[in-house]
Amino acid sequence: MPIKSPFESSIAKPGQGKVVLSLLPPSIPTLTTLTYKYPLKLLTRVPGFVPQTSTPSRPSQPVHLYLLTYGGGLLPGDNISVSITLEPRTRMVVTTPQGSTKIFKTEPNASVKGHRGTPKNILSDKSRQTLDVHVGEDAALCYLPDPAVPYKDSRYEQIQTFTVDGLNKSSLCILDWVTEGRASRGESWDFHLWRGKNEVWTTTTTDDGTGIPTEKKKLLLRDSLILDDELDVELLENDAGTISRSDLIRERTRPHGVVGTLILYGPVFEKLASFIMDRFTSLPRIGARNWASSAPAVMESTPNYDSQVTFTAARVRAGFVLVKFGAKEFATAKDWLGGILREEGTVFREFGEEALFCM
Amino acid sequence: MTVKTNVQDIEQEIAHLEDRLRNARARLAVAFASHKVGDPYLPLPEDTAGLVPTHALLLLSDSALPLGSFAYSSGLESYLAHNKPLPRSVTPIASFHRFLRLSIASLASTSLPYVLAGYRRPVDLESLDNDLDASTPCIVAQRASLAQGRALLGVWERAFRGTYASSPFSAGPTAAKAVKMIEAFSDALKSSMDTDELGPKGHFAPLWGVVCLAMGMDTRQTAYVFMLNHAKAVLSAAVRASVMGPYQAQNILASKNLQAMITQRIDREWDTPIEDAGQIVPPLDLWVGRHELLYSRIFNS
Repeated sequence: MPIKSPFESSIAKPGQGKVVLSLLPPSIPTLTTLTYKYPLKLLTRVPGFVPQTSTPSRPSQPVHLYLLTYGGGLLPGDNISVSITLEPRTRMVVTTPQGSTKIFKTEPNASVKGHRGTPKNILSDKSRQTLDVHVGEDAALCYLPDPAVPYKDSRYEQIQTFTVDGLNKSSLCILDWVTEGRASRGESWDFHLWRGKNEVWTTTTTDDGTGIPTEKKKLLLRDSLILDDELDVELLENDAGTISRSDLIRERTRPHGVVGTLILYGPVFEKLASFIMDRFTSLPRIGARNWASSAPAVMESTPNYDSQVTFTAARVRAGFVLVKFGAKEFATAKDWLGGILREEGTVFREFGEEALFCM
Repeated sequence: MTVKTNVQDIEQEIAHLEDRLRNARARLAVAFASHKVGDPYLPLPEDTAGLVPTHALLLLSDSALPLGSFAYSSGLESYLAHNKPLPRSVTPIASFHRFLRLSIASLASTSLPYVLAGYRRPVDLESLDNDLDASTPCIVAQRASLAQGRALLGVWERAFRGTYASSPFSAGPTAAKAVKMIEAFSDALKSSMDTDELGPKGHFAPLWGVVCLAMGMDTRQTAYVFMLNHAKAVLSAAVRASVMGPYQAQNILASKNLQAMITQRIDREWDTPIEDAGQIVPPLDLWVGRHELLYSRIFNS
């Protein structure tokens, strides 16, 4: 029997990471667990920012977590899996300091060169990222990353699961956006697959009379986006050399070059949520005419970001505000969202300027 | 030939016949299992076999079925407003065709898995309803789905239950189970109406699956009628929004193209678990969500 190395990492698989953030008395945020393995790298920092909040219970200092991968992106077959636990009353800011998450292309000829079998493998090398976050009571997560940039021919899947305790006690701000690829190189939704799923679950512990508390999970929110060019796998097998290009994804995302979702939940982001809802409901009516004057409708003199970004905001259920947006250019969307978040100020006050690093 | 009167012989014959029956049943089970997973088509008694599925099919595909579907354009109205004025090279009809294509694909990817799950596992109705509610991204779409789902429940209770829940028409044990699930869900819905924000809601897609099961439709029909009814609703909205005339709308509805499109989308989502259902046309969420911003509206979605 092989002797287990005492130096072996507690995490077995490459690409896995685990973070546990606890609050030690009186109110000192401490990372009680921080492990990761290549190609994933996790860095943390406590910037010493004190939230300027008006709530009576003083919140703890936010801890910053940087999600890094070697090379700043994901190669085909990479499988990143991060698990984060925020214990009650802690706060965390997650950003991607390397810029956009690049999803590198799946080599179409990779399988033909070696002896890796049939051309079926052409579509098998997906890169994958799973993020599993548990947010305890009165804890808050601010996750405003750069967008994912899927390169031509790439295949990627991302599953982000957030679990909150009880209802409306934890706070979440989650941004998930994807661009058409490297627009400067002429890429426009030229990847094979991008699948992004964000789920929020709640666990409630109930005692059903047996004395043993049972944990019940309930799905609160699911936001799932599938951009699939629906390539015919059988067709590929017959004709491995040429991958027929379908413009299905482009057709389905037109006229946007970037699409995204912002999820807001909980007491910390309540003001921000109301601000965005107001912003949406006070948008000028589409197709409205100025009946008062006989002159043709005045064209908007100053093109503002709200008119360049198509967005919708809705209070869906359980206090969630779901914002969906699309824009022609990535920069427009970034300026628009950054503008809203800065103007409203919650993120700045509660988490510091650095939380808006990617905006 | 002498007739066997010997007790032993008759017993032997019975044993032999029973054996054959068991054998045939086993083969049937295997054949079904390999045919399609989760397709609980059951052979019906002779006298009702022809009547049940076809009659139910005609009822459920009738545009006079009082679900109020005519009040919803599923984003068409907003789509037209957002794409105005059209570039010179695009005709209104071509623009509509694009919408129809996107709308059908999107409905199949977001809702069809719930229809099929409702049909295949009626016991999960309440959790399917919750999960679909959690996946509905905006108030406008939620409103449309709830209104039609609750209307379907109303039609079931006031019109169909009398016939389809009673024994002679009941299409077997699975249908009976579906009936039970609808009743239980309806009770839960009434008792929690507007008090529990996370309680049962009454979304259309899973209820459609369960009601079709209760009425003896097969899986394929259930999915097809669901998709076709959606296409009908969108086309009917197009006529009323003066995109096209009624004959042209029927022409599209009858076309091979539409049939192929629906079949293709059903085939694609046939085995999609509800966890993997999702939006494949992101701008559609924006159009539907921004319906509320339209200055003038003739539809509810």
